[in-house]
Amino acid sequence: MLLNVIDILSQYWELFLIGQYPHGPLGGLVNTLILASLALIIAFPLSVLLAVARTSPYGIFRHPVTVWVYVMRGIPLIMIIFWTYFLVPSLIGRNISGFTTMLCTLVLYQSAYLCEIVRGGLQSLPAGQTEASRALGLGYFRTMVFILLPQALYNSIPSLISQFISIIKETSLGYIINAQEMTFAANQVNNQLLVKPFEVYFILAVTYYLLCFGLTQLAQWFERRIDTKRQGDALIAT
Amino acid sequence: MIIFSKVNKWYGEYQALVDVNAEVKKGEVVVVCGPSGSGKSTLIRTVNRLEDIQGGQILYNGHDVYGVDSNLNTLRSRVGFVFQNFNLFPHMSVLDNITLAPTKLKGLNASYVKTKALELLDMVGMSHKANAYPNQLSGGQQQRVAIARALAMEPPAMLFDEPTSALDPEMVGEVLSVMKSLAKEGMTMMCVTHEMNFAREVADKVWFMDAGRILEVAEPETFFQNPTHPRAQSFISDIRA
Ligand SMILES: Nc1ncnc2c1ncn2[C@@H]1O[C@H](COP(=O)(O)OP(=O)(O)OP(=O)(O)O)[C@@H](O)[C@H]1O
Ligand SMILES: [Mg+2]
Repeated sequence: MLLNVIDILSQYWELFLIGQYPHGPLGGLVNTLILASLALIIAFPLSVLLAVARTSPYGIFRHPVTVWVYVMRGIPLIMIIFWTYFLVPSLIGRNISGFTTMLCTLVLYQSAYLCEIVRGGLQSLPAGQTEASRALGLGYFRTMVFILLPQALYNSIPSLISQFISIIKETSLGYIINAQEMTFAANQVNNQLLVKPFEVYFILAVTYYLLCFGLTQLAQWFERRIDTKRQGDALIAT
Repeated sequence: MIIFSKVNKWYGEYQALVDVNAEVKKGEVVVVCGPSGSGKSTLIRTVNRLEDIQGGQILYNGHDVYGVDSNLNTLRSRVGFVFQNFNLFPHMSVLDNITLAPTKLKGLNASYVKTKALELLDMVGMSHKANAYPNQLSGGQQQRVAIARALAMEPPAMLFDEPTSALDPEMVGEVLSVMKSLAKEGMTMMCVTHEMNFAREVADKVWFMDAGRILEVAEPETFFQNPTHPRAQSFISDIRA
């Protein structure tokens, strides 16, 4: 079994790593990472805006975002994948690649989850921070930009990394719409070998696991750092 | 400088301020005291609209605080406010805490603001910690920085809400001495505090509050020796005990 695994790896590592590139589209682990990172990079600023709206004193901003968040969090990701897959081409009148579909889906879906993380970060700050800033004469937006968001985002780093882990795992669903990524690559390998599905998917699982485990460690490291800093803050200012 | 006339405030059903009429004159130091829950914090927080009022009027430096035309942020930037819990911004250095408002609100040149900030830090005895972060400071040091931060906008009056209550006893003195030197320079001050020695030494007037009303306004000596209101009498015998 282990020999088989090593054998498969030595023969197909390129496919696992970068898909058919350079003879075909880029795929594999590299594309999984690109897809997940792009999703995070685009969804994150969006989610900060959503979180600001969601904590806004004005209902016009708050209510639509609240609905958005509830809807996105209340339906399975795969439904949104299908909707994007069928809806977007009919809206814009041309086909989009599996990769783009998956990217759009993840951005929509994750914007809601990331929004809740940022909102949690904002709301867990002591009320005294807002009061002190407003008392100095800084307005709502300056308070948000200079006082609240820097602290909230910093404190949210561990949760943001955890969410990145979820995104990485969610990219594997791109397989069903032929998005080039690692699961898709593993399936190609499996189709060529036919007789060793267990070994192939074992490699796939281990790769996901190692990737996510590493990120979990990183998240925990940040968490400890932030805790130490918080204790320092709390030591005197309670 | 600060004039309260017929100020009424409710928290839902509960009336926290009842027909408050009082005045803090320019250059005066007023100490507000009274039992817990009497409305001291509520009163001082109405001056910069951290709390809204439902009736009456407050004039600050000639401006109607709750008037339709008053710009809230401009008004607040003209009121120095010091909190019980300091509320320094933990993600900024001491210096940045102080320069934030003047740079953002007045758009002043950065090096000028920094020079002014260092002068203020010098005044509160904290210039050696200009580059430290709040969590590296003791409570007394944090509160002195908070005072410097409030002074940075050069407000005509300073409000203090129990500035020493969150401090260990050995740090109370350093904060009070900064407040005393401010008073000596002629700063108009309204202080909610339980530090009766501070009231005796520095205050021009003591306001005694109970159940949302100002029951007695007196000079400190008179207030401590011969309080007229029975509630004030029992309050003073309580703090003596
Ligand atoms: N946000 C609020 N909602 C409802 N009631 C409040 C609120 N803030 C204060 N109160 C009530 O208003 C009254 C006055 O409160 P305030 O904080 O002004 O008292 P205080 O004199 O400052 O007391 P302390 O010495 O304990 O600080 C209290 O009975 C309090 O329970
Ligand atoms: Mg109080």
